[in-house]
Amino acid sequence: MSAATGINGEITSSELNQQPAATPTAERRVRSTPSRWRQVVPTVLIYVVSIAVALALCALLVSTTGGSAMKVFSALLDGSLRSPGSWGITINTAAPLLAVAAGTIVAGKAGLSNIGQEGQVLLGAAATAFIATRLVASGPVVIIISLTAGAAVGGLWALLASVMKFSRKVPEVISTLLLYFIAIQITDFALTKRWLLASLSTDSRVNNGQPIKRNARLPGFELFGNTISWGAFVAIILTAVIGIALARTTTGFRLRMLGLNPRTARRAGVSAAKIGGAALVVSGATAGLAGSLWLTGGVPGDRFTSGMSSNLGWQGLLVALLARQRAALAIPMAFVFAALRTGSQFLSATGVDRRIADVVQAMLVLALLVGAALEMVQKRRAERMAAA
Amino acid sequence: MIAFGGAIWELLSSDSTYASTMRFSTLLAFAAIGEWIAERAGTINISVEGMILTGAFTAALGSDLTGNVWVGLLFGVLGGFLVAYVQGTMSHRFGTNQFVVGLTLNVLAVGLTAFLDAQIEPKVGPAGILRIPGLASIPLIGPALFERTWIQYMLYPLIPLAWWAVYRTRWGLELRCVGENPQAGDVSGIDVSKRRRQGVFVCGLCAGLAGAYLTLGHTGSFTANGLNGRGFLALAAVIFGGWTLKGALGGALIFGFFQALSSVFQALGYKANAQLLTALPYVMALITMLVFAHRSRQPDALARPFVRGLT
Amino acid sequence: MSDTARPEPISAAASAASAASAAVRLEGITKRYGQVVACDGVDLALYAGRIHGVLGENGAGKSTLMKILIGLIQPDEGSISIRGERQAIADPLAAADLGIAMVHQHYSLVEPLTVWENVVLGEPVALNRAKACERVVAISERYGLGVDPLATVSRLTAGQRQRVEIIKCLRREPQIIVFDEPTSVLTPAESEQLFSVLRTVVVDEGRAVALVSHKLDEILHATDEVTIMRGGRVVDRLLTADATASSLAQSMVGRPVSLRSEAAALGLIETVAEIAHDDPTVESPEDKHARVVLDVRDATLNDADGRVLLDHLSISVRAGEIVGLAGVEGNGQRALADVLSSLVDLDSGSVLVAGTEVATSKPGALSAAGVGVIPEDRHDSGCVLDLSVAENLVLADLGGVSRRGMLDRKAIDERARDLMQAFEIQASSPHAPMRSLSGGNQQRVVLARELSAQPRVLVAAQPTRGLDVGAIEYMSARLRQAADDGVGVLLISTELEEVLTLSDRICVIHKGRIVGEMAQHETDIERLGLLMGGVNA
Repeated sequence: MSAATGINGEITSSELNQQPAATPTAERRVRSTPSRWRQVVPTVLIYVVSIAVALALCALLVSTTGGSAMKVFSALLDGSLRSPGSWGITINTAAPLLAVAAGTIVAGKAGLSNIGQEGQVLLGAAATAFIATRLVASGPVVIIISLTAGAAVGGLWALLASVMKFSRKVPEVISTLLLYFIAIQITDFALTKRWLLASLSTDSRVNNGQPIKRNARLPGFELFGNTISWGAFVAIILTAVIGIALARTTTGFRLRMLGLNPRTARRAGVSAAKIGGAALVVSGATAGLAGSLWLTGGVPGDRFTSGMSSNLGWQGLLVALLARQRAALAIPMAFVFAALRTGSQFLSATGVDRRIADVVQAMLVLALLVGAALEMVQKRRAERMAAA
Repeated sequence: MIAFGGAIWELLSSDSTYASTMRFSTLLAFAAIGEWIAERAGTINISVEGMILTGAFTAALGSDLTGNVWVGLLFGVLGGFLVAYVQGTMSHRFGTNQFVVGLTLNVLAVGLTAFLDAQIEPKVGPAGILRIPGLASIPLIGPALFERTWIQYMLYPLIPLAWWAVYRTRWGLELRCVGENPQAGDVSGIDVSKRRRQGVFVCGLCAGLAGAYLTLGHTGSFTANGLNGRGFLALAAVIFGGWTLKGALGGALIFGFFQALSSVFQALGYKANAQLLTALPYVMALITMLVFAHRSRQPDALARPFVRGLT
Repeated sequence: MSDTARPEPISAAASAASAASAAVRLEGITKRYGQVVACDGVDLALYAGRIHGVLGENGAGKSTLMKILIGLIQPDEGSISIRGERQAIADPLAAADLGIAMVHQHYSLVEPLTVWENVVLGEPVALNRAKACERVVAISERYGLGVDPLATVSRLTAGQRQRVEIIKCLRREPQIIVFDEPTSVLTPAESEQLFSVLRTVVVDEGRAVALVSHKLDEILHATDEVTIMRGGRVVDRLLTADATASSLAQSMVGRPVSLRSEAAALGLIETVAEIAHDDPTVESPEDKHARVVLDVRDATLNDADGRVLLDHLSISVRAGEIVGLAGVEGNGQRALADVLSSLVDLDSGSVLVAGTEVATSKPGALSAAGVGVIPEDRHDSGCVLDLSVAENLVLADLGGVSRRGMLDRKAIDERARDLMQAFEIQASSPHAPMRSLSGGNQQRVVLARELSAQPRVLVAAQPTRGLDVGAIEYMSARLRQAADDGVGVLLISTELEEVLTLSDRICVIHKGRIVGEMAQHETDIERLGLLMGGVNA
């Protein structure tokens, strides 16, 4: 698929206002200048209202099914930020989300839609588990090798989709998606075989892997009673590097050109297969790395389990989309999503089903989308009035 | 080698192969027909999975509330339509990116149906089996096609209906136009956004029907996230089929066959790796697309948002 | 002669007619886009039984005006009256209900559908293939517009597609028909035929026809009266019989105009041909020995459906010469330009630049070898609208503005400013988005980028399409200068005037191959027209 069809950062179509350059009749330029303040206030209002409506609907849902909305929101806050040590957990949860988002941004800027991050995360974690349960070496060496393995496997998985697209025109949207389902089966299979990932326990009910060696865990440091894993720094540095590379390097420029206008890009020497393919591989690699960070960061425990990826891939993808493919915005957005995740841990105490957190998250996303659409409509109206 | 040949023969000559295949293929076929219509109008409908799942849940709900399977069916169709309404309106009235909306709706559908299922726990009364005498006696495929739950029979007239609607009516012509060249349609006086929305709505109806079939006809109950990605196989079927109805249905048949293999193998007493069998339909979908997607022609304006005035 | 400031109808006959029977009366139509005024208080009246020309260079506002009439755009001020009654035209459907129809240039036919499907598109009646085909055949016979109702549009030539457009338009029996730049896709012979169809439609059936154009020839030949627009305003209105080429030109452009020097821009084909004869660029002995910088040999290309785009096409260009490739749209020009842009790979054949073969499959290879291209559709493959002007100026040569892989912002700025000055590109700053530039300025950006790379070959495809007279002159001068500097220029254009004026040598392309060649001083318009139409002459 061409650039115009992918998740290339456009939440809403920005062509809704007619520019004279588009009709070959006008010769002079456009300038529209509503005051900055008047521009910002209605936009903020739109988003605040949308989010409020979304939260209200969720509260309604909780109440009508017999729960207490206040308790739910309180539990979410407790789990994510209020209870001791929760900041650290939330940050450590945000790290893999951010890694996934960073890679998705790379692919998105190139005009490609990778939606199989969940599978790449899973395989990355699996590869890391394989190495981290077996390799006998000093701590730093094990960590570096296992993280690299995770990234490599994730990247290879995306390479499959890339090859399929550029040699046989299979849309990467569907191939990355199908590869996700295949990845689940691969990892489930690996969990049944001792020589792969299966636990050494003789208990047939156990469907987990072996615990990873102690020195394979990512170290962290203490800060105000929170344990923050080095993984968070890895993720932030990765995001910063990607953001800078996209904006300032020649390769980044070529990649953006490819996403904006592939034909002009080809004219200028950008090979869609090479650069686009590389972008897809990078997005898979960061997702694989996210899986590694997740496993070694200690949040879910110390071993690989079935379904380990736990929606990290989907949520990281949404983070990137909502951050409008901008690396800087991805960081706070990842934190918000992580907060929802960790907050939901505390929901069982309230008696409300844990999955309400998923609903809240999806409703918030919808609220942001509706907000973006309304913002576009409002802007159009303002422009029309300015022109008259 | 001979053993392998013998196994293939047994596979092809067993009733259960055809029956199982039809069960899975019907589900995919309902969804694929809807997705085909949506894509001919220019929308890639990633939320088809959410539509089916929602339809499955609402069908269970309806059946539980009234004890009547017909009502359950209706609820299922409406459930799919509900999701389609959001998808269609946001994509084509508000201009929101259709992928973002679709993915979000999927997440919402999975979470919401699982949540409500845990709260409400609807009990489903499955639809009865209807046997068509005479036709059902055809060896091998007879029972598969004519001795099924009556919901499956809705597929048979749906196929020519869909074909007729898209190729023989003015609505269908406008739909196709809007998927190929919306600017031309706009200039000819067609309401492009409306037709594209309608394409999505029809997909929702069909996917809701698929969901109702899943709950009422196929499994007899609702399982949270019981769809597990099979809705996306409908998407693959449309691509594999080169955006033709025949092709999409062919894809549904093939992918349904591979899904059926795990239960067929069990019935026949063969042992095969569970994960391999589960992965097989997805692998086959990839392989078939590798072979066929290369040559097919997608609607020119597929997944391209339409904006008036870009001339 | 007519005074450019007086917007009154001149002849008594016209004023008598205006009193009662105006089929369409536009009054005070104004349309603004931000600070730009596309139409400024425009008055226009169309009468039944008359062909009314709307003349203006590109950018004068005539397209906008017609889009308002047809319902694609809403005016900010002014009123529209149809047969004496005020109407608001909300969309094309409403326009059709009022009996207004437009024959578009592009964007109106759906290629994968058949002729009859395209003709009935948008009609609120049930679909009936037999009836529709009957209707298509009936209309085409009545007006002499032969076309097969069952053919798929993607397989039709540009001229045939226009016929389908006309049939589609006439199917609804409109009382008011607008033709938008109709002859740009036709051979001279087809143009004549079109004009006679117009006469039938108008005179015999009493419809009102508006002919929108920037070409004086068309206006002088085909219209009864003409309204001239400039800069969004109506500057003159007169009977065609009272008009001369020079008076029209002066009104259109706003300054005294030498017909001879601007004949191509004004669309005066006979003048152009005269000039070519009287004052040809004679080939000097050294020209003959200039080396061949571009050599396309036996190029063959089929599209995905198996249709032939290029059919063993061979063409060569020497350093310092301008080779014009004339032909009706849709005969392989686009494919040739795409091949030379590395956008498409040849099925067979080769391309040699300065004697060395260059792979057509490698992206950017031809550009690196020294082939610059000004593409037919700059939005499609010439520039990136979402990037800034500066970024567009440097995108083909990043090595020169970067250090060790990192972009050097200052160097980019500097290069951009230099180029903007040298090529007179008007933009608020180098950082302005490309989108905000006018068409003419965008074309200059593309030209600047391509020329600044010091190419050996410059392929210019439809370089002056959509530009006003001044911009056309600038572009033509630049192309000539490039040739004088030793660049081999391949000019691909469907505008015969342009090809005749600029080229040293003219080749004609038809159905993907070169069917004829002539030097500038021996040009024969009739022969060219026949070759373009596929007749062996």
